Formats: sequence, C-alpha cells, structure tokens
Amino acid sequence: MNEKIMLDIRHYSKTYGGGKKAADDVSLSVMSGDICGFIGHNGAGKSTTIRAVVGVLDFTEGEILIDGHSVKSEPMECKKVTAYIPDNPDLYENLTGIQYLNFVADVFDLGSAEREERIRKYADLFEITNALGDMISSYSHGMKQKVAIISALIHRPKLLVLDEPFVGLDPKASFTLKEIMHEMCQEGTAIFFSTHVLEVAEKLCNKVAIIKQGRIIASGTMEELTKGHSLEETFLQQELG
Amino acid sequence: MNKKSIILLKTLLLSTSQRNIYRYSKDRKKRRRVIGNAIGTVILYALLMAYCIAVCIGFGTMNLIHAAPVMCALVISAIAFVFTVLKTNGYLFHFKEYDMLMSLPFETRTVAGCKFLYMYCKSLPWYMSIAIAMMVGYGVYARPPVIVYPIWIILSVLLPVIPMLIAAFLGFLIARVSSGFRKTNLIQTVFTFAIVIFSFSLRFILEDLFRNNKVEATLQTTSQITGHAAVFYPPARWFADAVIRLDILSFLLLAGGSILLFTVVFLIVGKSYRNINSALKSHAAAKNYRMTRQKKKKVVWSIAYKEFKRLTGSTVYMVNGAVGMILAPLLGIVTLVVGFDRILTLVVHDAPLNAYMMQPAIPFIIYFFIGMMATTVCSPSLEGKNYWILQSLPIEKKTIYQGKMLFNMLLAVPSMAFSTLCLCISARVSVPETILFLLLGLALCSFSTAWGCVCGVRHMRLDWENEVEVIKQGSAVLIYMLPNMFVVMGLVVLVVFLGTRMSHVLLTVILTLIASLLAFLCYLRVMALAKK
Repeated sequence: MNEKIMLDIRHYSKTYGGGKKAADDVSLSVMSGDICGFIGHNGAGKSTTIRAVVGVLDFTEGEILIDGHSVKSEPMECKKVTAYIPDNPDLYENLTGIQYLNFVADVFDLGSAEREERIRKYADLFEITNALGDMISSYSHGMKQKVAIISALIHRPKLLVLDEPFVGLDPKASFTLKEIMHEMCQEGTAIFFSTHVLEVAEKLCNKVAIIKQGRIIASGTMEELTKGHSLEETFLQQELG
Repeated sequence: MNKKSIILLKTLLLSTSQRNIYRYSKDRKKRRRVIGNAIGTVILYALLMAYCIAVCIGFGTMNLIHAAPVMCALVISAIAFVFTVLKTNGYLFHFKEYDMLMSLPFETRTVAGCKFLYMYCKSLPWYMSIAIAMMVGYGVYARPPVIVYPIWIILSVLLPVIPMLIAAFLGFLIARVSSGFRKTNLIQTVFTFAIVIFSFSLRFILEDLFRNNKVEATLQTTSQITGHAAVFYPPARWFADAVIRLDILSFLLLAGGSILLFTVVFLIVGKSYRNINSALKSHAAAKNYRMTRQKKKKVVWSIAYKEFKRLTGSTVYMVNGAVGMILAPLLGIVTLVVGFDRILTLVVHDAPLNAYMMQPAIPFIIYFFIGMMATTVCSPSLEGKNYWILQSLPIEKKTIYQGKMLFNMLLAVPSMAFSTLCLCISARVSVPETILFLLLGLALCSFSTAWGCVCGVRHMRLDWENEVEVIKQGSAVLIYMLPNMFVVMGLVVLVVFLGTRMSHVLLTVILTLIASLLAFLCYLRVMALAKK
C-alpha cells in the first residue's frame, strides 16, 4: 500500500476575538492507513482543531492540507474526500433515517445500487435497519450517532475525522465501529479522532497526538510515545510535565 | 441553481415539512398537532385574504382600484423586509446543523443561498395569499385583460425577493460587523433593533411625505401614485407597470433584478460566511473565574433568571421577544419630546379626535407594544432539548410556569410603567387617572403574561430545528399574537368611543376589573395545565 500524507496540519493557530489562542502552532500529519488518536483535557483545543480540519471553522494562521489540497483555498476538494462525525451530531430531526442518508448520498452523487448496498451493509452492522423508516427525532442519542456514522461511511472517505465517536454508543456498536475503523485503515483510509478513553486509543491507534492548552505537547507513533508505559501514564506524565 | 443547491433546498424544506412529520411520525399527538396547525394556518390565510379583499373593495368603491397593484407591491415588500430583518439572523447564521452542512461538499455560498431560499419558500405562501387576494379584488373592479393574472402571479412570486435580499444583506452586514466584537450577540441585537425601529418609523416618515405632497388629491391617477411609490421603491413601479400597462421592460427588470441581486448578494455573503459563523459560534473561555459568595434565590426567581439569560443569549429571541418592551418606552420618550397632540395628529390625521378623548386609550396603546409578544409564549418551547433539565429536577410544573411568568412581568411592567407615565405626563392626565392607568396596565401585563403562557404550554413544541420556528412561526405565537393585536386595535376604538359617553375613571376601573379577571382565569388555566 502506498503511504501518502492524507492530513497535514502545518503551524495551525486559531485566535479568538479577545486575542486568546485556542490552538497555537499545531503541526501534525496523518498518513493513509494511519489511525491517529487526538487526546487532551476538556477545552485543550481538540474540537477546535478538528472543526478547522473539516472546514467548519475558519482559522487565522497556518495551513491544513487534506490529500494535498488546502482547506482554505480548495475546500470543496478537501470535503469530497473527508467525512466528519461530530461529538453530538445535529441531524435533521424531522427526516427519517433513510431520508437523511439519501440526502448525504445525493450530495456525494452516489448511484442507487452502491448507496443501497452500503446503507444496507452498515445499517445491518449497527443493527439499525428496521429503524431507518422512523423519524430521527424518535431516535436515542446512540441511534443518531449510528446514523451519523453511516452517513460518514457511505461515500468511502479517504480521511475520516471523528470527534469523540464512542460517546453514546452501546458496547456492540463501539466494537463494530472499531472493526470498521480497522478495516478502513487497511484499505488506506486515514482516521483522525479525538477521545478521552485512553484504553481505546491505546488499542486502536498507531499514532497519537497530545494537545494541552492549544499546543501539541507530544506526538508520534504509539511505541515512540509510550516507551513501554501505558498511554494513561504517558498522558498524565505529559500533562503534569 | 446547481444540482447540489436543489438537493440541499429540497432537504431543508423536507426537514421541516409538516407532511413528512404526519407521514412518518408514530406519535399520535404529534400527528394531531400537524392537523391542528394546518387548520389554524388555513384560517389565518383566509383571514388575511379577507382583509386584503376588503381593502380592494374599499379602493374599488372609491374608484381608486388602480392603486391596488402598487399597494400590493408595497405591502408585500414592506412585510417581507421587516420579517426578514427579524428572521435572517436565525436562518442564516444561528442554525444547529451548521457543522454538519459545512463539513459536506457544499460551497459556502450554496449553503447561505439555500438557507435564504428556504426562508423565502417558507414565507412565500403568506405573500402569495396577499397577492392573490388583491389580484381578485383588482380583477373584480378593474376588469383587466386575462394576461394580467398570470403576470400578477409570476411577479408576486418574485416581489418579496428584493426586499428579502436587502434585509438579509443588512443582517449579513450586522453579523459581519458584530463578529469582530467580543460581545457579538449584544452588538447584533442592538443593530437589529436599530433597523426594526427605523423600519417602524419609516412608515410614519413616508406617510408624512405623502401627506405633505397631498397625495390624496392626486391618488386618482395611477401614474402619479406609481411615480410617488417609485421615488422610494422602484420594484413597486415595475410591478405596477407590468400589471397595469403590460410593460415587458418592467416585467424583465423585476425578474432580472431579483435574480441578479440574489447572485451578487450571495457571492458577497459566501465569501465571509464561514468566517462570520466561526466568529459567532466559537468563543474563547475566559477561564478567570474566582469563586465568590453565592446567593441563595427562590426557585421561581432562579427560573426567571434562567429565562433572562435565555433571552439575552439569542439575538432572534431578543429582537422578537423584547421588541415591544423597547418600542413602548421609545414611544413614551418621543411623545414627551414631540407632544401627545402632535403624535395624535400624525397618526389619526383629520379624524375628529383630541388628546382628552384619547386619554382612556393610553393603557391600550402601550399594551399594543408590550403585549405584542410575551416571552411566556415561546419560552416553554424554547426549552427544546434542554427540557430534561427542568423535568428531571424536583420542581413542580407550576413553579416552572410561575418562573416564566415572573420573568415576563419583570420585563413588561417597568416598560409599561415608564411609557404610561410618559404618555400621561404628555397628555396632561390627572394624577388619580394616571394611577388607574398604571393599574390597568398592570392588569393587561398580567393578562398578556398568563394568556401567553396558556398558548405557550398548550402548543409547546420541543423538536424544533431552528429557534425561529418557535419564535416567529410557532402555532403558539400565531394564536397569541394575531388575535391579541386585532383585539387591542378594536379596544382602542371602543374605549375612545365609550370615553365620550362615560367618566374616564369609571371606564378605567371597569376595564381594570375585566382585565384582572381575564388574567386570573388565564393564570388558573396555566395552573390546570401544570397539573396535567
């Protein structure tokens, strides 16, 4: 498999109105086939960075490249190959699950056969097929999360960005998502996700970046970073240090 | 429009379509509410159309039917402008699914443009009901050639576009400017208020200009009316020329102008759309709080305080919910400065009314503004997904509603008291009568608060996509606002009439008792609803 930089964050900074920096000179890269965990305290700058990566949030300094395209100057090229799952997905509550998935499939111009096949596959995996005809407003948080995940997967993104993806998922769905992430990374998709569950990051990721007060304080492969310790110990050491 | 715009617009419309809810919802209550809403909306459309036809009959019987097209164009444009100013912030910038949409491969101008078109499609039935009713009236009296009807309908579809675009662009400029400040919401609210107040006063400025030019005398000829209207607003002239004279150029100017302006506006908006939303949606936490002594509050006061923070935290809510509370004191100040008599002359012109005769109507004039909207109408629905917080706490529903009502009273009563005092001083009302007017004002505030709460609780809707749906389009708001405004206008006339037949003091005492009784009954109803 050809390794290629899928996500390249170069000296990214985000400054708020009052001059306060939410992200300060953040640089990191995620290769195709990588699963990169992004960890840090609440308010450390994880979501701000993720939202800038997916083109939702404007930023002041630096550059973010996805598959070689600039998020600032070529946003459409970037978004075509990216999928994003926010921590608390706000979906259209008065659409049915299938209506929402069809909307996303239309946006990515998926043909009837392939959308049907992929929706069926992932909906079966997440055991939500029977509920697809119901209004999203009737779904539980976990079910909404599953629909958001399916909508992110159906267009086969090259870069999958997830913000706290396991929150609200039942154990079976968490397991399924992890399996899918592994499968996707074997197919060459780059995955960049934030999490507070360090055990999950430790088992799932081959790369980790730790962010503290908007700055990356450590990043690299899991082995480089942990050096035989647990990720929890490493994280706490970095945080205290 | 490209394919993606159509997909997005279709989805936006589907996501709030009542038909979709009816078709797929398993909740019977929800389905019943959809039917109830549909019936209510049809009745409101019918009322609006009846009113427009009545206006045309007035024009027709006075041989002024040729003024109907300009009137139609100006009414639709004015309503479209004011309502868009009030809604644009919520529709273009403060929508929940911003992250989801912006992460999908849509151009920013596509998202902004579709949000505008969505707002347009949602309001179009209202404008079309005005246009069709006036077309019918015009058709009956003017007997125009058949071709006028399709032209009228096509151009009516386009008529709201230009004023809506102007209002949306103003909203965009406000958002652009305020995004540079730390207190973005506050700056946005202040600017939007300024535009709303300016729009209201524009009505008087225009009316005064028309009167100074003695337009009544020249209203007989359509060309002169069109000329006057065109001074202020060319699209109204294009509409009238296309309809009356079948002028193709005017038709093309209105159609082409609307499309061109849409393209230009959304090219500009698209450029800073993400930038503005980023500034509006992301705020740095100050992280400098030091623990201080915390005061204990009663639960109702805590809920009232929560309501205060909810109101001031949303520009759309603030602009719509507090507009009357701001306009009433402004009217009071203007009346003090300009004088009650002069304001009266400006409003009622040559009608045989004097300041003394108008005195008993003062509480109702103030109530017209204060009661325009009660926060209790939308605050139950605005709890939205956060309703669980109150539900899971050991608070009785009646306490929740009492807190909401307390907040509206805290907002309305000082505003009412100040404006009533200003008007009473200006109209030289005696001290005892002033006190009675204040008591009547208090009773009316209590009524509006409690009646608003009845509507808000009875028609509570928690599953909204955008708070504009609750604040501007909710059935609770429609049920509260429209009858309330019409009744108040009728009451002003009735009270002035009764004031000429009986003592002002006696009249005010009777009205205070009636208003207090109604407020009390509504309060009892709220308490009964709380038990359900």
